[in-house]
Amino acid sequence: MEECGSEKKMEKENLGPRMDPPLGEPQGSLGWVLPNTAMKKKVLLMGKSGSVLDRLHSLQINSSLSTYSLVDSVGSTKTFDVEHSHVQFLGNLVLNLWDCGGQDSFMENYFTSQRDNIFQNVEVLIYVFDVESRELEKDMHYYQSCLEAILQNSPDARIFCLVHKMDLVQEDQRDLIFREREEDLRRLSRPLECSCFRTSIWDETLYKAWSSIVYHLIPNVQQLEMNLRNFAEIIEADEVLLFERATFLVISHYQCKEQRDAHRFEKISNIIKQFKLSCSKLAASFQSMEVRNSNFAAFIDIFTSNTYVMVVMSDPSIPSAATLINIRNARKHFEKLERVDGPKQCLLMC
Amino acid sequence: MANVHDRHHLISEIDDEVNPGPMNIQFDSSDLRSKRPFYIEPTNIVNVNDVIQRVSDHASALDKRIHYYSRLSTPADKALIAPDHVVPAPEECYVYSPLGSAYKLQSYTEGHGKNTSLVTIFMIWNTMMGTSILSIPWGIKQAGFTTGMCVIVLMGLLTLYCCYRVVKSRSMIPSLDTSTWEYPDVCRYYFGSFGQWSSLLCSLVSLIGAMIVYWVLMSNFLFNTGKFIFNFIHHINDSDTVLRTNNSSPVICPSAGSGDYPDNDSMIFYANDTGVQQFEKWWNRSKTVPFYLIGLLLPLLNFKSPSFFSKFNILGTVSVLYLIFLVTLKTIRLGFHLEFHWFVSTEFFVPEIRLQFPQLTGVLTLAFFIHNCIITLLKNNKNQENNVRDLCIAYMLVTLTYLYIGILVFASFPSPPLSKDCIEQNFLDNFPSNDILSFIARIFLLFQMMTVYPLLGYLARVQLLGHVFGDIYPSIFHVLVLNIIIVGAGVIMACFYPNIGGIIRYSGAACGLAFVFIYPSLIYIISLRREERLTWPRLIFHICIIILGLANLIFQFFM
Repeated sequence: MEECGSEKKMEKENLGPRMDPPLGEPQGSLGWVLPNTAMKKKVLLMGKSGSVLDRLHSLQINSSLSTYSLVDSVGSTKTFDVEHSHVQFLGNLVLNLWDCGGQDSFMENYFTSQRDNIFQNVEVLIYVFDVESRELEKDMHYYQSCLEAILQNSPDARIFCLVHKMDLVQEDQRDLIFREREEDLRRLSRPLECSCFRTSIWDETLYKAWSSIVYHLIPNVQQLEMNLRNFAEIIEADEVLLFERATFLVISHYQCKEQRDAHRFEKISNIIKQFKLSCSKLAASFQSMEVRNSNFAAFIDIFTSNTYVMVVMSDPSIPSAATLINIRNARKHFEKLERVDGPKQCLLMC
Repeated sequence: MANVHDRHHLISEIDDEVNPGPMNIQFDSSDLRSKRPFYIEPTNIVNVNDVIQRVSDHASALDKRIHYYSRLSTPADKALIAPDHVVPAPEECYVYSPLGSAYKLQSYTEGHGKNTSLVTIFMIWNTMMGTSILSIPWGIKQAGFTTGMCVIVLMGLLTLYCCYRVVKSRSMIPSLDTSTWEYPDVCRYYFGSFGQWSSLLCSLVSLIGAMIVYWVLMSNFLFNTGKFIFNFIHHINDSDTVLRTNNSSPVICPSAGSGDYPDNDSMIFYANDTGVQQFEKWWNRSKTVPFYLIGLLLPLLNFKSPSFFSKFNILGTVSVLYLIFLVTLKTIRLGFHLEFHWFVSTEFFVPEIRLQFPQLTGVLTLAFFIHNCIITLLKNNKNQENNVRDLCIAYMLVTLTYLYIGILVFASFPSPPLSKDCIEQNFLDNFPSNDILSFIARIFLLFQMMTVYPLLGYLARVQLLGHVFGDIYPSIFHVLVLNIIIVGAGVIMACFYPNIGGIIRYSGAACGLAFVFIYPSLIYIISLRREERLTWPRLIFHICIIILGLANLIFQFFM
């Protein structure tokens, strides 16, 4: 179905001028073919003002050229108040970004005419509130309209609320203000249940919030964790991380001993995303990396079609080739796990 | 839409990798408030064995975040520039000498300091000058006049040489970037974690010793101030009972008769005046006043950041200058009373050469102590090549100041009625509490010490808790326990052993052993050995310094 505004498809790690692909084609996922986009589950990312959303989007979802275009295009689309785009996410999820920007009459019209279309098949609704907003009533009104639409069209959807730009609040007041908002939102969301996070792009809270959201979106995450643990123990790794491919959010991890730096996930994520940006400038795409010194060896590699893996070994005597073979063999097993209806088996201990 | 995309495609290809550093510095004229650069030192690669790292995880994560965001946007896009409130505040850098001043310093990288030589010299002098000046006359008395003078000059030269070794120690480390190092870092480089822990221990000994001295002195000054005010209000003249001189400039000998420290002016009693007796009961130098201070100072010690107190640094300078003025005035009024008896003590005089001179060297070790922060102080010097010259001049000025005060107080002490032995460990005690000039001195010193005390407590806390727990404020409970221990030690000493000369010399000799004598010499010997430039004379000379330091400590207990 056509929506107002331009539809942009983002290709991860792929450069060159973007082209709008014909509608109805599936995004290259695991290989099973979906008849049309309407069947895909959606993740709706909504919020009132554009400046919040484009930052959110650009920082967490993508690291390539498409980021620029989204950022600039939001600024440049003066004629279209509602902007959205699609990003492939976790294989079988499509992230719809809705920037509900300014004019009220347009917003009302839009909601009424396109409502069913937007809110059908929604798996997750992420609503972003600006903590500094002066129009609390209006924010809540829009939020409630969205919720009503969800209740009608996708009553099973999960709701997440992000209270954003928390760094602008004084540190000692943050907990208080967040708790107030959380109370209000919980109250307004009944009978649906919402989870709230307080975020800011300048600290680790945004990353953690997104990681939690992603964690909840994965259907068989406990099984994934167990398998990851087995994998790590078999190959004698210190730590194994599983990253989502597009956003480098940590889906799951296993560590065999206490690590000192609690911020390491976000740091690695930022470093790799930055590296991917550099690669993209050379029209190359990032595939894998090995970092080694006398104390450790770390391997970052494509794992399944939706994930990257990072393996940290602290025994430098184990040759790289051995670990890479292990990763390659484990790949097949984890691919099977990702299929929703895949067989449930454990890694065999050999 | 294709045009729009192409245009933006082009823009994104501009290579903004040229300056990947602090991208958030804006030179936009419309943004008058210049942004602070946020910069992580290049050597924040953490060794597995490092317990303490220089850069916090939080700062390092923010650094990566800022780098990534800077790649996402064009430099003109302001929304992804880190706002000021997000960037961590620059690390607070405190310089202190345990018995001198303590204050917050703006630290520059080497070669970019802004202070002229005069300012640097003054800052070194100011940091070293402090309450140890009160014990110098007593120290001269203990050593004998001639010996005392010679010891002051020689100790000045010795500690100056060791300070010079400290300053030069970093340049002998060839391969590492030592521009942010202070002396404990050098010790850690040479001696590993033993070096780190021993320098921490010595630093704490000096700090806690200084805090105990401050508590004793503060109790003393508070007591005298209260007594002055009480006597002034009630027009009481409490002369006569204490051995004193009979003229317009009275000097008293509080410990006449007994060798013990006077328990407390309870020699004055007016049998009919119960008001005074009540006052005497509740305002007692060693029984009650130390406890009153707890209510005032213990809360101040619990502050997270004492930067408020470092604004009062000027009080230290004013106090010292006032003391110099006071001593000069008293000398003019009292005149000189010197007699030279070389080896025997007479009724009023002490011999010129006495065997108790190690007591003076102990006091002087702490009086000339600045080795823990001299590197930082000299870093701010504009002309780095003048560092050694400025250091020598500063030490010379400090020595002269000590000599001036020590000699004048000693020489002007009215010996015919009183014995030189009466010179108290705190020479202000030799003036009666109704003497207006010394009252003013006590007030100044009291306020100055009240503002330095929380700073020293903060420094002790940061060093101890930072090294042991890795966090400088683990919880209010830890901090409170530490503060209670420190305050308790001060109160106990004020009640039972309020001899500041003794406390200064023991803690000075102990702390100086590491920082002043052993480490500078040992590190020099080791670095020469590594460069294969070690010669016998140098080795013997520096080993003699180490032996002197050890002797200094050992003789404190015997002499």
